[in-house]
Amino acid sequence: MKEYDVIIIGGGVTGAGVARDCAMRGLSTLLLERGDIADGASGRNHGLLHSGARYAVNDPEGARECIVENRILRHIASGCVEQTEGLFITLPEDSLEYQAQFVGKCRAAGIDAKAIDPKEALRMEPSVNPSLIGAVVVPDASVDPFRLVSANILDARLHGAEILTRHSVEGFIKEGVTIMGVKARDLSTGELKQFRAHYTINAAGIWGAGIAAMAGVRIGMLPAKGSLLVFGHRVNNMVINRCRKPSNADILVPGDVVCVIGTTSDKVPFEECDNMKVTPEEVKLLLEEGSKLAPGLASTRILRAYAGVRPLVADDSDPSGRSVSRGIVLLDHAKRDGIYGLVSITGGKLTTYRLMAEMTTDLICEKMSKNVRCTTALEPLPGSKGVRPSGQGLGSLAAFHRHGEDESKMDKDSEVLCECENVTRAEIAYAVRELGVKDMNDLRRRTRIGMGTCQGGFCMKKVAAALSEELGDGSKAEEFEMQYARERWKGMRPVMWGETLREAEYMRKMHAKK
Amino acid sequence: MKYDICIIGGGMSGTKAGVALLSRKKRASVCILSAGRTLNPTSREEFKRLGGDIFDNCRAVSSVMGENRVQAVVTDNDIRVEASAFVLSTGKFFSRGLLSDMDGVYEPVFGADVEFEADRSAWSSEDFFDPQPFESFGVRTEGSRVLKDGNVIENLYACGEILCGVVDVDKSVREVCRNIR
Repeated sequence: MKEYDVIIIGGGVTGAGVARDCAMRGLSTLLLERGDIADGASGRNHGLLHSGARYAVNDPEGARECIVENRILRHIASGCVEQTEGLFITLPEDSLEYQAQFVGKCRAAGIDAKAIDPKEALRMEPSVNPSLIGAVVVPDASVDPFRLVSANILDARLHGAEILTRHSVEGFIKEGVTIMGVKARDLSTGELKQFRAHYTINAAGIWGAGIAAMAGVRIGMLPAKGSLLVFGHRVNNMVINRCRKPSNADILVPGDVVCVIGTTSDKVPFEECDNMKVTPEEVKLLLEEGSKLAPGLASTRILRAYAGVRPLVADDSDPSGRSVSRGIVLLDHAKRDGIYGLVSITGGKLTTYRLMAEMTTDLICEKMSKNVRCTTALEPLPGSKGVRPSGQGLGSLAAFHRHGEDESKMDKDSEVLCECENVTRAEIAYAVRELGVKDMNDLRRRTRIGMGTCQGGFCMKKVAAALSEELGDGSKAEEFEMQYARERWKGMRPVMWGETLREAEYMRKMHAKK
Repeated sequence: MKYDICIIGGGMSGTKAGVALLSRKKRASVCILSAGRTLNPTSREEFKRLGGDIFDNCRAVSSVMGENRVQAVVTDNDIRVEASAFVLSTGKFFSRGLLSDMDGVYEPVFGADVEFEADRSAWSSEDFFDPQPFESFGVRTEGSRVLKDGNVIENLYACGEILCGVVDVDKSVREVCRNIR
């Protein structure tokens, strides 16, 4: 049986980043993901590339990590990052003293924060609440998390890593106190497979606690649900934050043609992590608080609601398990628990995923006595190599925006199927051929198909048919259409009133057979 | 502007009601206020052939009420139409016959009584392909006549999808024709 250097469990941004780093350092690498890439928290967040300003007052170390990684990702992931900049606004009920302290702490952390005249803020970002009494510009940015994960996965593969989605880890191959590999079920066939490796890296986010438990190791995790709303317009062009102690629903992030308000924070039981629901109370809170950042939100159609789970880790130094460790948690289970061959990487943020991957890969290389330096901060990701689009049409330009130089691998002059996001038939073919797409949800995460203002209402029939053909099995069109409708419905239900209810009635008439 | 009968909504049920009314009452003057498009051009053409008037791009937005009666409706482009009887056939949410916000469902022209679930999370079903409760929300009627604050509006009839419950469009059109004086 083949023996890998490393097996990575989890295809979120952390696992994808670790896979890329390991593969680039010449380790033979396998990544196992039970669903699809960016299926968990990596695909259910704001899409905010933090400047670190949000953490400057309470967590200076986290703030410093963020600003360093922010600068790196603007370079290596330029195709995923939109350089929007951010505002921290002070409203009449907030304190300008806090703003002064905030600016000082930002600068101490190396974040270029500049207080500006509120009138100037309104000129820069006309959607902002006009009653603001203070504003600070910081280097926040918007990042497409799906594209970021996909680019890391793609680059890992280009460097020789194997990626297996729909493979669920069910146990470990354990000899004495050493983990020799994993047992994973191929969910497409039902087959239980064994994979051997010198080192196994647990990068499964909130599900990492369960993975560790299979190895006989306890990681105290506290699942914290964060709910967000996506609006049908891009109301703001800059990230808008509230300049006060971090709280609920105080960040509004523009992303492509939409914008996202979030988030809430509530402890949830582990059982709920696989099927989270956004409650009416959360929706109300998000709308109320969001409208204080940008009053236009109150009259903007809401596309959908979604929620992710932060993998908060209980501090090992606190036996009660109540205090949460901030920042990145890298656990060497050989040292911590006497279980060899297993490392867990968790905590952290979307913005710091690359650093987390570097720390993890450094540890593995040290264990393997391999002296190879990390180059992930220098080498741009696929899609971020700064060339020009090869095609001319709307579809080519949109594909270039999503896939960078890989747009040249798609047929030109292909028919646009998703008109909200300008996804062509050729891009679908490319995603099937090169990005491992197996169903409609995979396709959505790789291409943004159906994520725009119609939520697939107009295009899902033709997209389902096209995908089914590209996969070489024309009989799947109806199944794909149903899968898509069900998925969109889930996100629409918590916000189903007003214009969203209109759209729901329309979708039912179009796609639910009577 | 004055008609015997004014139909509000030029969709499937409105045009069918128009045709049925003109076939039955050949001397009556009937108009349709139509805000959008109809998927039923056959009835629309038939209604015109029978002598009915259609006001396109006219959305009824408010009403002038008397004692349990409608005196007139006013459109978004300020046309005021008086009539002896009115037919409400504006459909549900997509056609904006019903409006909704976070707290409830409303009928915008008359403020008619609307049947809906108070708990918003019960408006839809979890599975897209299951029957959806919001599809049976709609105005309450008694013998085809619309209720407002629990009382019958004597000269306002409703047919088609704006009705609450499971709607048989053709049957509701026939009932309006039978009940209208």
